[in-house]
Amino acid sequence: MADSSSWSTALIKISPYTFSAIGIAIAIGVSVLGAAWGIYITGSSLIGAAIKAPRITSKNLISVIFCEAVAIYGVIVAIILQTKLESVPSSQIYAPESLRAGYAIFASGIIVGFANLVCGLCVGIIGSSCALSDAQNSSLFVKILVIEIFGSALGLFGVIVGIIMSAQATWPAKSV
Amino acid sequence: MGFIGPLGPLSSKSRPTPPLLISQQKPDVQIREIKNCLEPKQLSESSTRFPFPPILRSKRQRFRSTMASTFSGDETAPFFGFLGAAAALVFSCMGAAYGTAKSGVGVASMGVMRPELVMKSIVPVVMAGVLGIYGLIIAVIISTGINPKAKSYYLFDGYAHLSSGLACGLAGLSAGMAIGIVGDAGVRANAQQPKLFVGMILILIFAEALALYGLIVGIILSSRAGQSRAE
Repeated sequence: MADSSSWSTALIKISPYTFSAIGIAIAIGVSVLGAAWGIYITGSSLIGAAIKAPRITSKNLISVIFCEAVAIYGVIVAIILQTKLESVPSSQIYAPESLRAGYAIFASGIIVGFANLVCGLCVGIIGSSCALSDAQNSSLFVKILVIEIFGSALGLFGVIVGIIMSAQATWPAKSV
Repeated sequence: MGFIGPLGPLSSKSRPTPPLLISQQKPDVQIREIKNCLEPKQLSESSTRFPFPPILRSKRQRFRSTMASTFSGDETAPFFGFLGAAAALVFSCMGAAYGTAKSGVGVASMGVMRPELVMKSIVPVVMAGVLGIYGLIIAVIISTGINPKAKSYYLFDGYAHLSSGLACGLAGLSAGMAIGIVGDAGVRANAQQPKLFVGMILILIFAEALALYGLIVGIILSSRAGQSRAE
């Protein structure tokens, strides 16, 4: 029986709105954390390397833009998730379908947030070594940029799965 | 709110009077009642209507019969299923990010001295990227497999999906760490000794196989998710 497990009795007492709200907050908050982390790793190396090679500055801003894109992914998914949040009549709040919708939004937010966190970190580290090697040998810029593109694909994976999962967030109909 | 018991609100006006015993009633009523006890009573139209007799059903069966068109199975099972999909993708992406970053730094450092070797040394980065794709595959398989409207989703299925996601994700995380460290050391060594390229590739393949084991077990586990009972 569903009620005999202690996990179940604890989980069904938590409102699906709690899970949804935390999921949406994590989607945007942790994505921005990843973007910020990547930007400061890239930016500090870029500025230091540009002391002796000022020509690299404008080209290597693209690494900073790759990190910023990660934050944009988080904003897009958070806006999509908050449109999935509907109000249901209070008799339906703990119905199985609303519980499932709450869990779907929560999981989608976790996926997008943490995938973007690691993506931003990865792109930041590669961007910093891109700037440093570009300062020494300018033919290396495009080659290291290929590695950075592999890194930014990880954020896209998170967005794809997050959007697929947000389609599962169907609340019970209000007419019931 | 006052207590409303089975007899209605506690007021003398609405409480029904208790029925008289047969011996206390009038003779013609007595004869009728005795005849009713001896002859089988014809079931009237109203007494055969559902629910007669009342059936004691479990809470899960109540959900299934009243909401058969919308939801069947355990209520909290989707929590674990969705968490499995999240674990698959997030941990695989962590491994892929670590592999990409660590070996990418090695490539960039090495490329300063030997720029012509950079394109050949992108192999560890590509192998780390594949880990993210493994996680994506399992996450999509799991999240399209959670459909309580079409097929019952019990706790068994939820736990199967959770274990599938954790298996693939944590295996991808460890493989990514291995690929990152080996790739970093390998490309730096390859720049100094070109004969080491094949050796680096072999070690990277062994590390990638770890993620493949996780993907295989994840697929097997998530295929168990529909098999919780014999229906």
